[in-house]
Amino acid sequence: MKRPSLAVVRIQQLHKYFGSVEVLKGVDLEVDRGEVVVILGPSGSGKSTLLRCINLLEKPTGGEIWFEDTRITDPKTNINKVREHVGMVFQSFNLFPHISAKKNVMLAQRKVLKRTKEEAERIAVEQLTKVGLGDRIDYMPAQLSGGQQQRVAIARALAMDPHVMLFDEATSALDPELVRGVLDVMRELARGGMTMIVVTHEMGFAREVADRAVFMDGGIIVEQGSPEEVFDHPQHERTRDFLGHIA
Amino acid sequence: MRITPQHQSAVTQAARSLLVLVAALALLLTLTSPAPAVALDIEKTTARPNQQDGNNVIGGQPTRVTWEARVGADEQISELTLTLPAGSSLAEGASVQATVLDGLKRLETPQQAEIRTGEVRIRFENPVPSHMLLRVEIHDIALPAADGDYSLGGSYVTTEGASIPLPDSPAISVISLTTVKAITLWLDEQPWVEAWNSVMFLKIFFNPQFIVAAVPNLFIGWLRSLGLVLVGFPLAIPIGLGVSFLRMARLRIVRFVASIYVNVIRGTPLFLQIYIAFFGLPLLHISIDSYLLGILVLAMNSSAYLAEIFRAGIQSIHKGQFEASASLGMNAVQTMFSVIIPQTVRRVIPTATSEFILLYKDTSLLAAVGVMEQMMFAKSMVASTGNMTPYIVAAAYYLVVTLPLTKIITSFERRLAEAEGQSVPPKPRRKRRASVTDALGGQVKSE
Repeated sequence: MKRPSLAVVRIQQLHKYFGSVEVLKGVDLEVDRGEVVVILGPSGSGKSTLLRCINLLEKPTGGEIWFEDTRITDPKTNINKVREHVGMVFQSFNLFPHISAKKNVMLAQRKVLKRTKEEAERIAVEQLTKVGLGDRIDYMPAQLSGGQQQRVAIARALAMDPHVMLFDEATSALDPELVRGVLDVMRELARGGMTMIVVTHEMGFAREVADRAVFMDGGIIVEQGSPEEVFDHPQHERTRDFLGHIA
Repeated sequence: MRITPQHQSAVTQAARSLLVLVAALALLLTLTSPAPAVALDIEKTTARPNQQDGNNVIGGQPTRVTWEARVGADEQISELTLTLPAGSSLAEGASVQATVLDGLKRLETPQQAEIRTGEVRIRFENPVPSHMLLRVEIHDIALPAADGDYSLGGSYVTTEGASIPLPDSPAISVISLTTVKAITLWLDEQPWVEAWNSVMFLKIFFNPQFIVAAVPNLFIGWLRSLGLVLVGFPLAIPIGLGVSFLRMARLRIVRFVASIYVNVIRGTPLFLQIYIAFFGLPLLHISIDSYLLGILVLAMNSSAYLAEIFRAGIQSIHKGQFEASASLGMNAVQTMFSVIIPQTVRRVIPTATSEFILLYKDTSLLAAVGVMEQMMFAKSMVASTGNMTPYIVAAAYYLVVTLPLTKIITSFERRLAEAEGQSVPPKPRRKRRASVTDALGGQVKSE
C-alpha cells in the first residue's frame, strides 16, 4: 500500500468496539505534515477514542492506521518506538506527581531517548521556558495551578521532538481563567508548523487555528473542511444542530 | 583427751613427723577405700545473703555461710579449722558458731571459736562424737567480690591427735556486685519501696527491684526481637513485591498460583506456620538455625500481607499515569520503576509500617518454639522469680518501638496528603507546621 508523501497520520476504515458498543464505525482521516486538524463533536461521538487509537492507547477493532511509513495496527510493530514520535496531551494533565516539573520533562528523554542528563536538562529548561514556566522548573506538580500543569505536560511531550501532537480536550478540566495560557501555547505551536490533531470544545480557538475542521457524530466523520466551510456553511443538519447548540 | 595449743607445743619433732605419716596414711586410706565412712564427710556448704530477697550470693556483701559435715565412724573431733576463700573478708560483727546435732537433737557444745581473716578455728571442749552432724555457721562474712565458685578447705584434729586435711567443700557460686544489684540492694532498704510493695498488685506487677533487674536483662531480648524483624521485614519486601507482580500477571495460571500463596498464608495463623516450620523441617532432616528459621517464617508470612498492600498501592495509581508513560514511549518496566513504584512507595509506607509493627509484635510467637527473643527472656525471668514485673517491662520495650512508629505513620500520611495536594483533614489540637505548600500558597493560584 502506497502512502501519500505528506501524510503523517493516515487512518482507514477504523472501527472500535467497547464490548458490544461500536464507538467508531469506519473512520477515514489523513493528516498532512504541518497541518492542524481540529476534531469537533458532541460527547460520545468518538473523537477522543479516535485520538487515542492513533498512539494505540486504545486498540482498534478493525481498520488500519499508518504513522508515516509504519503500519501501527500491525501486531509486529514496536508501538513504543512509534509513541516516541507521537506526543499526547491529556485532559487531566497526568503529570508524574512525585517529581518536579523539570524532572517530568526529563524522565522520558532519559529513559526512552537515552539522552544524557545534561542534554535532557537543557532541553527541559528550554521547553519549560517556551511554555512560560522558566521560573517554575523545580516546582512539584501539586504546587502548580491546573493551567501550569497542563503547560508542563505540553513541554514534556514536546521534549521528545514529536512528529505529531495529539491534544485530548486539553483545556476542558481547567478553570476558565486558566484556559487562555494553554491555548496561547497551542497557538504558538501551530504557528511554528507542528502537526497537530486537536479534540476541543473551544470553538473560537478551533476557527482561528485550524487548517481543517472535522465534525464527528455517532462514530463517523459527518463532515470536514476548512473552518469557514464547517463553521459558517455547515452542510449537514447534525453539524448545524451542534454548532447552534454551542453558540 | 583434749588437745590444746599447750599440748601441741609439747609434742616433739619426731611425734610431729609421725603425725604427718599418720595423716598421709589416713589420706591414702580415704583415697583407696571405697567406704570412706571412717573419715569426716562434708555434706553440704551453703551461703545465704543477709538480705531477705534474692537467691544469688553477691560477692563483697555480708553473707551467712553454713558448712555441714558428718563425723566419721572411728573418730572424734577436737578441733576444726576452716580456711576461707582467698579474698574473703569479715564484715563488722562477724562471728562463727558450731552446732552438733544428733539426728534432730542439738547437743551442748562448749567451744572456743576464733575467727580471723582467711580462717576460722573452733576448739571443742568435748570432742564431737562419731556419726554426729557438725554444723558451722559463719555470720557476716563477705565472700570475694569477683564472680566465681568458691570452696572452704581446712583441716581437723581428732582425739588421737591426728591432723587431717579437709577435702574442698562443695562450691558456693558467687556473683559480683553490679550496678543493677547495687541499686536493687539499695531499693531493698528504702521505706517507700517497702510501702509500695506492701500493695499486692504493685508488688506483683510493678515491683521496683524487678524493674531494675529486668530492664538490663530484657535489653538483650529486645535487641534480638528487633534483629528478627529488622532482617525479616526487609527480606519480605522484595518477596512481597514479586508476589504482587505475579498477582497482576497477564497469565491466569500465574495469578492463580500467586493468589494461593497469599490466601493460604493470610488465611492461617502465623503460630501454626511457625509450628509447621519448626517441627516439620527436622522431620525432613533439614536443620536450620532456629533464629534464622524464625526470620524466614516471619519474612514469608509478612510477604503475603505486603504483596496485597503493594498490589492495592499499584492499582490505586491513576490509569492516566500509565497512559502518560505509554504516550511518551516508555515500556512497562520503565513505567513500573520510574513512575508507578515511586508513587506506590509513598502511598504504601503507612500501611507497610503498620505491617512492620504487626510483624514486630508477632516475633513474640517464636518464644513458643524456643527462639531467644524478648518474650523468652521475660518468660524465663518470670519463671525464676514468680513475679509478673518482667512481663510489664517487656511490654514497655515493645511500646518503645511501636508507639513512635505509630506516630510517624500519622505524620507521614499527613505529609503525603500535603505533597500530593489532596485535602488535608484538620489536625486535632496541634498547630499545623508550615510547609512548602503553605509558603507558596499565594503563588499557586496565580497564572
